Amino acid sequence: MNTRPFLGWFVSPAGLVAVGLIAAMLAVFQYSVRAYIPGTLEVGGFTWANFEAMLRPLYALAFWNTVLICFETAVFTLLLAYPLAYALTRTNSTALRSFILIVSVTPLFLGEVVRTYSWMIVLGNNGFLNTLLLKLGLVDRPLRMMFTSGGVIAALVHVTMPIMVIMLAAALSHIDRNYEKAAESLGAGPIRIFMTITLPLSMPGIVAGFSTAFAWTFSAFATPQLIGGGRVATVSTLIYQLGFSSFNFPFAASLSIIGLALSLAVIALLKKAASPLERMAGTT
Amino acid sequence: MKRALKFTALMLLSTLAIGGQASAQEKLVVSTWGGSFRDLIDEAIAKKFTADTGVKVEYITGGTIDRLNQAKLAAAKPESDVTFTTAHVGWLYANDNLFEKLDMAKIPNASHLVEQAKISPYHIGSWAYVYTIGYLPDQLPKGVSFESWEGLWNPALKGMISSPDFDPSHVMVVAAKLSGGDASNWEVGEAKMKALKPNYKAFYTNDANSQQLFATGETPVQVVLSMNAYYMQAQGVPIKLAIPKEGAVLGVDTMGITKGSTKAELAYKFINTALDPEVQAKIAELKKGSPVVDNAKVKPEIAALPGVFTTADQWAKQTLVIDAKLRAEKTGTWRKWFTENIMAP
Repeated sequence: MNTRPFLGWFVSPAGLVAVGLIAAMLAVFQYSVRAYIPGTLEVGGFTWANFEAMLRPLYALAFWNTVLICFETAVFTLLLAYPLAYALTRTNSTALRSFILIVSVTPLFLGEVVRTYSWMIVLGNNGFLNTLLLKLGLVDRPLRMMFTSGGVIAALVHVTMPIMVIMLAAALSHIDRNYEKAAESLGAGPIRIFMTITLPLSMPGIVAGFSTAFAWTFSAFATPQLIGGGRVATVSTLIYQLGFSSFNFPFAASLSIIGLALSLAVIALLKKAASPLERMAGTT
Repeated sequence: MKRALKFTALMLLSTLAIGGQASAQEKLVVSTWGGSFRDLIDEAIAKKFTADTGVKVEYITGGTIDRLNQAKLAAAKPESDVTFTTAHVGWLYANDNLFEKLDMAKIPNASHLVEQAKISPYHIGSWAYVYTIGYLPDQLPKGVSFESWEGLWNPALKGMISSPDFDPSHVMVVAAKLSGGDASNWEVGEAKMKALKPNYKAFYTNDANSQQLFATGETPVQVVLSMNAYYMQAQGVPIKLAIPKEGAVLGVDTMGITKGSTKAELAYKFINTALDPEVQAKIAELKKGSPVVDNAKVKPEIAALPGVFTTADQWAKQTLVIDAKLRAEKTGTWRKWFTENIMAP
């Protein structure tokens, strides 16, 4: 007797989508090993030249920049999202919980481009932050925040924050509060309780949120492109600049393949590095 | 499992079939950029075309490259009848057999086309514009002027300028010209281009990005699309345009009939309407695009604007022309050189 009669019905759409995605990836790979022919969309014969070009310092720097920006974004997002997620799951006030939820999740309802343009207004020479700093007399001329890695990271943290808050809140809400009560009854203070019980037990959420934020940022395009103003090279902006705006699809495809391989490698490394932390939380 | 797969595949196919039926209704489909360009075509060309023929016009909108890819993927069964694109990208359509060869006898208004708008046997100009130096006068350092493109290299502009990141051909050809060369031997301008690097603050991605960089004063000097500059002026941004003595870099937006269109006769009528002298004058009035025919009656105040050309003398002396076919072939090389040598930190 079939115990899961609807499994096929539910799985088949996902299966078809997966086949489509695999076919698309194969097409991208096929493009990456073909020669670029100027003045046409047609591609030439087999070549490794596109991958060999990646060895130039500019591209190596772009890959390194991307990893660094993703890492820093994930760290800052985690530091800002954790207190929010903690307050969201621990407050007894419904009004405060609703407020935190709205503040944390609202950015998801705005497109990445809209959010990025808002940040351009905040970070610009005549923007909100510089105007404030000048009026307070803290600086005597505008600070350069646009077209810098710092500006890109600030905007990416905002873009990534809702995902991190949701993942951390899910992990925190699953912690059995009796452990904390037991520690408290044995005389542990709030900081010790947090450091020895809450933080370790929320580690699966931290690892999942960090990895997701990293991967999410790796594929970000509009934010590094607009805030970076062409001055902050990442894998996605290079794919756009060299592939789509110059019709060199083989080169763009090879950048995509290397970018994909790099992001998978980094996430695998993160997972490996995080496994002792997850074991600490008793999940493995 | 097999039944489930069949069912899902059937659902997908029926959805595609319904989509196909909807697009088979009687109408002329025009592929164009979105936003104000779509509105311009609708207001200036389509309105008259519909009044003359009774045929409605529908639009497929998207970015230049997105639509090119879309057209290539749909080559066997084209989704549009008329395609608007820039002159050099039009060559990519032509080279990939995505445009019909035009029968000029069916476009009587094309007899007035200026030479610069006769791009290929497959696509012709619809309006023109220039990429030139736009600036905010109140933020310009003393002693800087743009009578020549050399002004852009003035060290007083350090960290103040931007230009499009999607197409560096304008500045690269200018650098070649200032170094005694032209687009075909652009390499002579490499050192000149590198000398411009300190003046760059940013590179803009699209017209909206350019507007934002002007409006916030981030880059008060830009190599800018004239039509975009006039739009910003209308929004209250006090931009001025210069036409340097070497000429402003001419751009021509073009029209072609999509290969395999089943409404070629209507498409010819649409293109002919676009070149009607009154329609051309309206394009100049609405978007400050230069007419590409020599018989358009443009209002004097619009004809006086930099980048709007109404006389043979203006076309000859105020434009710096990059051959569209050469540009289509070189764009990739230029773009890569620009990324590696100018945009790289």
